[in-house]
Amino acid sequence: MSAPLQGLESAREVRPRSLDEATAAMAETAREGSKVLFVGGGTELGLGPAPSGIDVLFRTDGLDRVVEHSALDQIVVVEAGVTLGALQRLLGAKGQMLALDPPWPDRATVGGLVATNAFGPRRTRYGSVRDLIIGVSIVRADGTAARGGGKVVKNVAGFDLPKLMVGSLGTLGLIATVTFRLHPRPEAEETLRLPDLDAETVRRLVLAMRQAQLEPNAAAALVRDGGADLGVRFDGRFEVGVRFEGFGAGVQQQAQRLLEVATRQGWTAERLPAARATDFWARHDQVREAAVGFRAKLSAQPAEVERVANAALGSLFPVLDQPRAVHYPTLGLGFVTGEPRPGAPLAAALAAAREALVGGSVVLHSAPTELRNTPGVWGPPAAGLPLMNSVKLRLDPGRRLAPGRFVGGI
Amino acid sequence: MSSPSRVSPAPDPVPVPAPPTVIERLGAVVGPAQVIHEPVDLRTYECDALTSFRAAPSVVVLPGSTEEVAQVVRIAAEAGMPVVPRGAGTGLSGGALPVPGCVLLGLSRMKKILEVDLDDGWIRVQPGVINLDVSKEISAAGYYYAPDPSSQSVCTIGGNVAENSGGAHCLKYGFTVNHVLGCRLVTADGSVIDLGGPALDTPGYDLLGVVVGSEGTLGIVTEVVLRILRKPEATRTFFATFPSTTEAGNCVSEIISTGIVPAAIEMMDRLAIQAAVAATGLDWPDVGAALLMDVDGCSAEAEHTSKVAVEIARRTGALEIRVPRSEDERQLMWKGRKSAFAAMGRLSPNYIVQDGVIPRNDIARVLAEIARLSQERGLRVANVFHAGDGNLHPLVLYDAKVPGQEHAAEELAGEILRICIRYGGSITGEHGVGADKAPYMGEMFSEDDLDTMAKVRCAFDPGTTFNPGKVFPTPRLCGDRPGVYRPHPTEVAGLADRG
Repeated sequence: MSAPLQGLESAREVRPRSLDEATAAMAETAREGSKVLFVGGGTELGLGPAPSGIDVLFRTDGLDRVVEHSALDQIVVVEAGVTLGALQRLLGAKGQMLALDPPWPDRATVGGLVATNAFGPRRTRYGSVRDLIIGVSIVRADGTAARGGGKVVKNVAGFDLPKLMVGSLGTLGLIATVTFRLHPRPEAEETLRLPDLDAETVRRLVLAMRQAQLEPNAAAALVRDGGADLGVRFDGRFEVGVRFEGFGAGVQQQAQRLLEVATRQGWTAERLPAARATDFWARHDQVREAAVGFRAKLSAQPAEVERVANAALGSLFPVLDQPRAVHYPTLGLGFVTGEPRPGAPLAAALAAAREALVGGSVVLHSAPTELRNTPGVWGPPAAGLPLMNSVKLRLDPGRRLAPGRFVGGI
Repeated sequence: MSSPSRVSPAPDPVPVPAPPTVIERLGAVVGPAQVIHEPVDLRTYECDALTSFRAAPSVVVLPGSTEEVAQVVRIAAEAGMPVVPRGAGTGLSGGALPVPGCVLLGLSRMKKILEVDLDDGWIRVQPGVINLDVSKEISAAGYYYAPDPSSQSVCTIGGNVAENSGGAHCLKYGFTVNHVLGCRLVTADGSVIDLGGPALDTPGYDLLGVVVGSEGTLGIVTEVVLRILRKPEATRTFFATFPSTTEAGNCVSEIISTGIVPAAIEMMDRLAIQAAVAATGLDWPDVGAALLMDVDGCSAEAEHTSKVAVEIARRTGALEIRVPRSEDERQLMWKGRKSAFAAMGRLSPNYIVQDGVIPRNDIARVLAEIARLSQERGLRVANVFHAGDGNLHPLVLYDAKVPGQEHAAEELAGEILRICIRYGGSITGEHGVGADKAPYMGEMFSEDDLDTMAKVRCAFDPGTTFNPGKVFPTPRLCGDRPGVYRPHPTEVAGLADRG
């Protein structure tokens, strides 16, 4: 998680308190030709190769205003340094939410969420940052303030700069403000727990839910027992939580229907009372937020649960102490965390996992120094790398923003 | 829209002939029958559905594969000819308008559905596939493709990707960009690269998200991977009439503020209702406004939300509420709504379809401003729109035979866009900027905003070969490429290539 700011001790800190100050500070770095690293809540500093040669640590937490919340239009304009937790509390008071539930909400800032494309289980229903962001204002490397998108949900005027910023890891410009579409807070929610499924059954569960026209807002498969006692072996079994939310009648109906589907298939399932549902999702949070030396995000096609489990987790679990994993089977995404075992072949296990998930990806969010390089962090170079380089050079010709931190050494 | 060509009809454009060597080389790639260059044959391609803008391409090429597209792009680049892509030509913003001397790249022959994966929820298609044919392909299995522009029975997926098309049901389900998982792109130098794919979160910039909606200015999309969805269990529809758009607008606001996310909620004013009735024979009454709403989901949720919405409609002043008794009746109601544009021809010899967006909460105020303008200028304006997301489609009615009226209609349509900008909205919600609205981009965005977008364009297409004259208000040159491309070590080693 919060990798210490190694190698940044000598960097000068900048902490603007307003958008004007931020623009001026960016212009100053342009005049100096200094190399800049943007830091929000610092929750994902472990992602990408370790930054080096940074002159300016550009902290965004002083940009902490909610510029506009139009409840009737269901949009919010917010400065980059506002934490997700603070934003959700403000929106919640008006019965609304930003439908994003990534890790560390009380530390993660809005700008950081966009820059890292952070997500959580709610993505099952509402999509990711790219599906919720409708506008952005940035400050380019040359100190020019610009914006893209707008304040209305439906808008196709001009190129989609908001989406270009999503996941760009601070390499294209300072994300200064973000405009999101909002959703109503659900009236009711309910979680069902299927305590013991193998990977193939997890896959069948997803298909059975779709066949039954169920629309869960979250589905998370936790590796059972966390493998804590096994240490060296992944037993291939999952504890699955499926959550429905919406109006009470619909939630009741869907929960009951999933119970019936499971019963017909002979899968043990239970509808959880609120306290136990909270407990399940708290355990889910512990897995994804584990403060350990290794954290990787896995991506595969949704139906490839068995490959994720047997090949990818099967390779990585034996080289980690206290390995844990969560997989979102409707999305094909997941995280594996643990403490690298001294002397164990982590690099080889990683290569095996990548080979198993060809067509998908394994990206390191936290890893020992020797793996934090290119292409070690990101895997094989992306097909669009020349175009990505080209975009980078047009927007940051001096390669001053988070140099070397992104895909392909960008 | 602000182009003089609509105001004073231009003489038939005369094509700049393509060099014979180019014709020959193109013929060698796609077959001579797929190269159109006789002036009389080129006329079909002079415009898209925005017929007031016309220009003749030098040559039209109809490739049948990605490799052919790549070769055509290379030949055009070598000849210094711009490339303008075209799908079905149903666009309403002049996005497929040729520029003189261009190669018009028609993708209508590339209409194969290549692969369907129901378990993973995607379908891979060529760009010439008709939008509705995607849903037809998977309907029997209980799946569908969500974006549903009104022209979905004729428009192509390639065009939808270029314009980031919406439709009535994107309020709940999102636009084209939310349903495109990947694409194959032919870039300006004739390279072929794959962006995104069925597995989510491909490492790197979201270039796919930028390509969708870029109106053919960044590359030629030759394959698309689309997300497909399981059909919802239940859909409940109602049609409600109101004394005026004010009550109908209040009804929409109240429904949304109770936390309901309708699948679609559409508003029509008196003129639009009259047009729909004239076109379809529906027995809709002559009233000030009507709403047509879908809610969907599991049956209990759909029942609950439709009940609540009907109560809200009553409370906010509905005159009459109709619930369809059968799927046929429901389809007929939607046919009335979807035919409202074309039906305007029954009320007026000519009309301009406008597309703008305002914050939903300002609907009543903006409609009042439009009504005032309509009265001042003596021109009728019908309003059909996606009320849930504030996407207005005012139709400005005029008679081109009355001197000055077309010009006045142009001006009025432009004033409506300025109202949208003033309210913090957008000059286009789904039809695109194209050639039509490029002059308005400078009113919605600052010079620095446009400069930033231009940098992105230059990153993809430094020679501005693809679809010049669209999106940007003034022509822009890219200048030298900054920095020098440094190949990654794996590229040097031959493990990867520049695609």
